[in-house]
Amino acid sequence: MEEIVKVPKQAEKGSGLTFWQRTYVPEIVRGLKLTAAHFFGNLAVHIFHLLGLWTEHRGAATVQYPEEMRGYSSRLRSLHRLTKRADGSPRCVACMMCETICPASCIYIVAAEHPDPNIEKYPESFDIDLGKCVFCGFCVEVCPEDAIRMDTHILDFAAYSREEMIWDIHRLLNNEPRRAEGIGQIRKMK
Amino acid sequence: MPTLTIDGQPITVSKGTTVIQAAEALGIYIPRYCYHPGLSIAGSCRMCLVEIEKAPRLEVACYSQAADGMVVHTITENVRLARRSVLEFLLSNHPLDCPVCDQSGECDLQNYYMEFGLYQSRFLENKIKRRKAYPIGPHVMLDNERCILCSRCVRFCDEVSKSHELGIVNRGERSEIALYEGRELNNAYSGNVIDICPVGALTERDFRFQCRVWYLNRTASICPGCARGCNIEIHYNVLRPYQSKGKRILRIKPRFNPAVNKWWICDEGRYGFRHIDASNRLRECEAQTADGVIPLGMETALKTAAAWIGESIEQHGKDSVGFFLSPELSNEDLYAILKLARHLGISKIDFRNPGEHPGFEDNFLIRGDKNPNRRGCVELGLYHRQRENGGWMAEEIKQGTLRMLVAFLQDLSLEPEFKAALVSLKRLIFVGSNSNATSEQAGLVLPSATYAEKNGSFTNFQGRAQRFERALVPLGDSLPENELIARIAAHFRMPEQPFEREQLLLDLRAEFPFFDQSTLDPPDVELAYQTTIAQREHA
Amino acid sequence: MMEGLAVAAGKVAFSLFVLLNFVMLLTWAERKQSALMQDRIGANRASIFGFTWLGLFHPLADALKMVSKEDFVPAGANRGLHAVAPFVALFFALISFAAIPFGDQLWIGRHPVNLQVIDLNIGLLYVFAAMSMGVYGFVLAGWASNNNFSLLGGLRAASQMISYEITIGAAVIGLVMVFGTINLQTIVHRQGELLLGFLPAWGVFYQPLGFLLFVTAAMAETKRAPFDLPEGESEIIGYFLEYSGIKFGMFLMTDFVETVVVAGLVATLFFGGWQFPYLYRDGFHLPGGGILVLSQQVVCVIQVLTFLSKLAFFCWLSLLVRWTFPRFRYDQLIRLGWQMMLPLSILNVVVTGGVLLLLHR
Ligand code: SF4
Ligand code: SF4
Ligand code: SF4
Ligand code: SF4
Repeated sequence: MEEIVKVPKQAEKGSGLTFWQRTYVPEIVRGLKLTAAHFFGNLAVHIFHLLGLWTEHRGAATVQYPEEMRGYSSRLRSLHRLTKRADGSPRCVACMMCETICPASCIYIVAAEHPDPNIEKYPESFDIDLGKCVFCGFCVEVCPEDAIRMDTHILDFAAYSREEMIWDIHRLLNNEPRRAEGIGQIRKMK
Repeated sequence: MPTLTIDGQPITVSKGTTVIQAAEALGIYIPRYCYHPGLSIAGSCRMCLVEIEKAPRLEVACYSQAADGMVVHTITENVRLARRSVLEFLLSNHPLDCPVCDQSGECDLQNYYMEFGLYQSRFLENKIKRRKAYPIGPHVMLDNERCILCSRCVRFCDEVSKSHELGIVNRGERSEIALYEGRELNNAYSGNVIDICPVGALTERDFRFQCRVWYLNRTASICPGCARGCNIEIHYNVLRPYQSKGKRILRIKPRFNPAVNKWWICDEGRYGFRHIDASNRLRECEAQTADGVIPLGMETALKTAAAWIGESIEQHGKDSVGFFLSPELSNEDLYAILKLARHLGISKIDFRNPGEHPGFEDNFLIRGDKNPNRRGCVELGLYHRQRENGGWMAEEIKQGTLRMLVAFLQDLSLEPEFKAALVSLKRLIFVGSNSNATSEQAGLVLPSATYAEKNGSFTNFQGRAQRFERALVPLGDSLPENELIARIAAHFRMPEQPFEREQLLLDLRAEFPFFDQSTLDPPDVELAYQTTIAQREHA
Repeated sequence: MMEGLAVAAGKVAFSLFVLLNFVMLLTWAERKQSALMQDRIGANRASIFGFTWLGLFHPLADALKMVSKEDFVPAGANRGLHAVAPFVALFFALISFAAIPFGDQLWIGRHPVNLQVIDLNIGLLYVFAAMSMGVYGFVLAGWASNNNFSLLGGLRAASQMISYEITIGAAVIGLVMVFGTINLQTIVHRQGELLLGFLPAWGVFYQPLGFLLFVTAAMAETKRAPFDLPEGESEIIGYFLEYSGIKFGMFLMTDFVETVVVAGLVATLFFGGWQFPYLYRDGFHLPGGGILVLSQQVVCVIQVLTFLSKLAFFCWLSLLVRWTFPRFRYDQLIRLGWQMMLPLSILNVVVTGGVLLLLHR
């Protein structure tokens, strides 16, 4: 059977409140009961933790970054890296596709002639100004060589100066991915 | 005079015109690889196939002659299919290395494929490996894998430069472009093969990997390399200065002008832009003092220059000051100087390119006179028969009657008489873009802009005054000569207005009817180098 | 004479020590308690040599921050009043604690020492007077800042505090009628008796309605959520908008001092002050008849500790309320004060009077 719910045309003031609710007091007590229950429950958990007991149960929703980290989606766009060929040289051929597509104009590549005519072209320098990057991921999508990726799961690359925010080819090439997958999981960092 | 209909538009052409030319006259662009208006017809690439009514099959537009009553359709389902198949064949052994290919962005293989291509490759066989990226001459790099054997380069060497270096060797799918035994692609026009190669098989050694072509800006200009005054395009990169290591101008391309250079330029002109970003460019005003050379602000320098000229005239008369002009100055610059000289009453004016001997000359483009504007100097009345042996100025300096000289661009010390005379000169002002022995001797140096950094015109040996446009901002403090002159003139109470660009031109034409009658070629706004542009408009 | 001075100084020092420590700990407790109530952890990063001690250094860090920040005075402000306002507010909050007894008489040799900074016959009036003087600080702050928003905040503070002061006064009249005095020490003494032989004779049992009204109104006096309309730091902004550094800190402190004072007042008036149930001057007298004899000094210590525990409990309760309920709307606040609480407190007086009349007949 369908339940027919009567929807009042207009919310009436105080409508549907019982006398006791209208006196505030019992409802106030109910509210206090709820918050106090949380307080004492969590207090107990934290006291247990201080004594080294029941540590597998978390006492709070807080993630203690940077000691702990949340898991990320595998699709997350994080700090860039340049991939390498088998011999460790960059896969990038300095085709400038990423530099061209970049909406923030924050990629700076200088190309040079490679001694091997089958490779022909390589990036002499490859800088990304992360202070300008908008993390759109276009550079990754447009790269014909799978030479640039945003899969490191590194998000904490803040620096104290604008210059330090510009990552050069060496930093980008040696940017070891710190894969932290698994949404909803919390990982302890060293 | 056959009349034919192309895509529904009727046109009457002269006899012998081909369909592709007739279509072009109507503004209909037909894709092509081997056809080039400046070369003989090969009809080998089969890209220009069109449908002609009553013809049993598709016909090549580059070879079929227009006939009366012909009805041509340049774009039908059959034509599309044919072009797709041609492209599929062309790509069967193509390396598809567009990411590293310098041509990408202006490659006809890419462009046509975008429109007609079969995007799903059906090719399963192994591609034939060929030799990649090796120099075949001082300016040209060849990649045999990318070549589509259109034979444009071969025909160019046979018909235009007539140097016969290139040929196609082997047969069938093994055919490839090669140099003849012991030869090198080093003719005086070798760079043109880079321009006409529709793909990235021939690339420019000088330009390789300096910059992506879509980053380039382009401006119409005139080559200052010789008296021919070939029409050129300057391709420069100013938005991404970190690429190409601070060089702004990256390459020169020819601009079509049927009366002067057609589609071609010589290598000399193609690489004649290096002085513009060279390290010896003069960037600020300099003055020679007891403590050595010190930099000056533009205002101070101009004031000093005017003061020097004024003092000399006041103390030693008008004939104590001379202007030494250069045939590399534009018509406008020369005229501005002339105006100032008249105002001051200075008559000691000469123009020359010291130390110059007639250079290499051929019967195609290259002229022995390596100055772009000698004809302009002559037409402006700067040439005096009695002063033909230019020694008179050196003579007067030695005698002490000419005490002060304003020299433009040229290195006077290349002429032994002048070299000796310069010592007795009291004051020397040098106006020029690059430093040389004379600028180092000058008491005052005013930096001037190069042809790429100013507007103006050169009069070529045929008497065509051809305009060129400013591509770049003048380096450092430098300014075009006519502006420098205008600002010096202001110190002599001359109004600015006659030195303004348009007024200068009007006055020039009014005073020298030659410049009125001769064709003052406006720079072609539509830059012709790029087939891409035409193709885009078509698409 | 000298002895008297020394004793007075000692009492003042003790009471200030208690008060200010409570204030400092309250800033810590506010963070930690709210965190626990909301399943968070709370501030825990301030460390000295790697020790964080549950974030106990945060009040210290806060104080350092406040002191070292720029002391900003807006252009066009009345500089003198701008500087004086926080002192006024804090001063009256601090002195109102003086009349609250924290223990019974302590005998040192032959000298009885009353554990109360000032033993006033009109103690209750004194506390109320001091507390209501505090509003000058807020109004001055709002007015002296040369900022309309500050001024509005100050006005809100004034009208709110005046509205609720009436209820505060009316709510305790019933209690005063029951105990027949307004000397706070005497009121506490009266609560040491037993009701029906086992129930401590605490004010709350005589005056449950008065207790509710008083607690509500007193909370409104401290200007903390759900009655934080004069301040509303993040949204409606209040009288201390133009304050920074330690002056701003003093306003914050005032709030906490008032919280402690109110907690002390509630404990004193309704929960027996320093009285521990069944504990008398000579020891415990259990309802069953058993007696545990204790020395007078030990009893005194137990009483002081009892008072401090009650103080702590009511501070905790105040934080619990502050972190549980959302803010009132301003019209609701005024309606609550004038249309509900004031009539109820008058009703309370009338009913109490009637009952007393009947009982004493
Ligand atoms: S993510 Fe976007 S903004 Fe960042 S470098 Fe790549 S293309 Fe540029
Ligand atoms: S798109 Fe890829 S290959 Fe091209 S320059 Fe960028 S990273 Fe290098
Ligand atoms: S010639 Fe054209 S299609 Fe071939 S690699 Fe170069 S750009 Fe790409
Ligand atoms: S090198 Fe270029 S111009 Fe020469 S045949 Fe090959 S594609 Fe044609």
